[in-house]
Amino acid sequence: MNTDAAGLGRGRAAGFVLPAMVLIGVFLVFPALWTIYLGLTDYRLTGLAAANPRVVGADNYTAALGDERFHRSLWLTVQYVLGSAVLGQAVLGFTIAWMLRDRPGPVKRITEALVLLAWILPSSVVAFLWIALLDRDEGTLNALLHTPGFAWLLDYPMPSIIVFNVWRGTAFSMMLYGAALENVPPSQLETARLAGASTLQQLRDVVFPAIKGHVLTNLLLISLWTFNDFTTFQITAGGPEGRSEILPVYIYNVALRDGQLGFGAAISSVVLLINLVFAFAYLRLLRGRREAVTS
Amino acid sequence: MISLSGLTKEFPGGVRAIDSLDLEIADGEFFALLGPSGCGKTTLLRTIAGLETPTSGNIRIGAVDVTRLPPGRRDVAMVFQDYALFPHMDVTANIAYPLRIKKVPRAAREAKAAETASRLSLSELLGRRPGQLSGGQQQRVALARAIASHPTVFLFDEPLSNLDARLRLEARTFLKRLQRELAVTTVFVTHDQGEALALADRIAVMSAGRIMQVGTPSEVFQRPANTFVAAFIGSTPMNLLPGRAENGALHVAGAVLPLPPGVREGPIVYGLRPEYADLTQSPPLGRNDAFTGKVAVVENLGTAHLVTLESPSAEANHLLQVVVPEGEEPGLGTPAWVTPRPGRALLYRDDELLTSA
Repeated sequence: MNTDAAGLGRGRAAGFVLPAMVLIGVFLVFPALWTIYLGLTDYRLTGLAAANPRVVGADNYTAALGDERFHRSLWLTVQYVLGSAVLGQAVLGFTIAWMLRDRPGPVKRITEALVLLAWILPSSVVAFLWIALLDRDEGTLNALLHTPGFAWLLDYPMPSIIVFNVWRGTAFSMMLYGAALENVPPSQLETARLAGASTLQQLRDVVFPAIKGHVLTNLLLISLWTFNDFTTFQITAGGPEGRSEILPVYIYNVALRDGQLGFGAAISSVVLLINLVFAFAYLRLLRGRREAVTS
Repeated sequence: MISLSGLTKEFPGGVRAIDSLDLEIADGEFFALLGPSGCGKTTLLRTIAGLETPTSGNIRIGAVDVTRLPPGRRDVAMVFQDYALFPHMDVTANIAYPLRIKKVPRAAREAKAAETASRLSLSELLGRRPGQLSGGQQQRVALARAIASHPTVFLFDEPLSNLDARLRLEARTFLKRLQRELAVTTVFVTHDQGEALALADRIAVMSAGRIMQVGTPSEVFQRPANTFVAAFIGSTPMNLLPGRAENGALHVAGAVLPLPPGVREGPIVYGLRPEYADLTQSPPLGRNDAFTGKVAVVENLGTAHLVTLESPSAEANHLLQVVVPEGEEPGLGTPAWVTPRPGRALLYRDDELLTSA
């Protein structure tokens, strides 16, 4: 088979790809490698170690893995990902998409527009909106619930940012599932209805088998995004007392607030590793599916 | 028995897909809903199934008013044009699906699926997925799924239209025999009048949400109640020529024909099937009841030819089509004469059938 469809030749083809490769190298590969290197040093933002960092080997890693604060942060992140991405965005997004699937035009368009709005606003704007909503003294929520002086962000920091992230990110899942549901043949759903299948049975027997690939892609993407999400820093900054300090916030606090760049880089590398495990698991599942389809 | 009374379905936006329709379908009958696309036949079928809610009117199946019942409680099974097989289930699971929903135990429903499958010669394929089956096999699996649930009514939405031409004839014969054996009331939708004539015990010809005629295939073919049905039914379209009843004779496209008794004077439409006329290449002796014209087109139909004549008369410049047996087709541009067979022509006035002529 001729693989050179454009007739460019190897050299010129490489020339076209080169700028992209350079950009990826400079802004993606190099910082990743640099992070791994920094993780092996005692590099600091200020002081002696800033001018003259020493290689300390795996010290940062052993310190991190034994650190209570790191454990708690990892656990909070798991809660954050499961609560806001998997249970929140995916389930809510699917529910909205399912309910809107045969609604008439205006209802659907208005709902979609409102949900999308939360997604496309800049994160600093959104963070400020939520601070205004949850504020102890002047907050909209306290005004609505007649609970003046209730400190949502201090008493319930994790539920607050989980609800926030559900609100913020549901649009993506909704749109993805909305598109996926259009690929479910109506005649299959109607066959199930004629057989007397309930909504849950229709979902189990017709809808989910048809959109399994979409579900997988959606869960991978939103888990990764949520795992690496830093927007909540603008709402709680990880507080109070680290009770909402998910991993990205923890890294920021350690590396830039406390100035321990080397230690922060080591934790970043651990996070990178976790992300890679996610991605590989997903690719394997996807390949398994493709083989099942072709066999 | 299925009986529909005053059934109307209006879609948002004011489109009346079904317009106050009354119809009775007898037990065990093979009933066709026939019409051009957009005539409301599929909407009617879906309304009987419960997939569409009628705007007004009633649907009864047997003694039960099912108008407000959900589809799953109407005891009907539908075969869709695309077969709607579940791609992730094998043939057994597909056939047994309605039984699974009805909570029939696994062993019983798999035995039922195997039994139904063997009746439709699908036994070899029970372990396969729909993607590994041919179109004809998929169609039989969809039929088997409908049969296995033992409904009181089968609903078929263009069941043969996704098959290729050869297979369609085979499947048609198969379907007709199967329905005879099962004797389950069956309503099917088709836009193919040949299919409707071949399969159905009775046909309802529909247009714009209304029924234009209900009758047996031969009634609908031989005595179409109006010009719509006349033009729609028949593998070659019926000639519909404007004419006048005057001075005790019919004047149509230059020919003077005897006027059947009981037809008042005035304008009429003269309907003649191309199969019910004879073409000669010289004027018929001693008669003036023949149409004449020049041969404009000759189309080969296989065992016959369809000849189109151009009438020479200026006041009535109509085309007339005749089917001519193999080997007797006239040359292009030559004059020819067409004699209608007695009793085979139909006279319409105000779009209603008056009589045959």
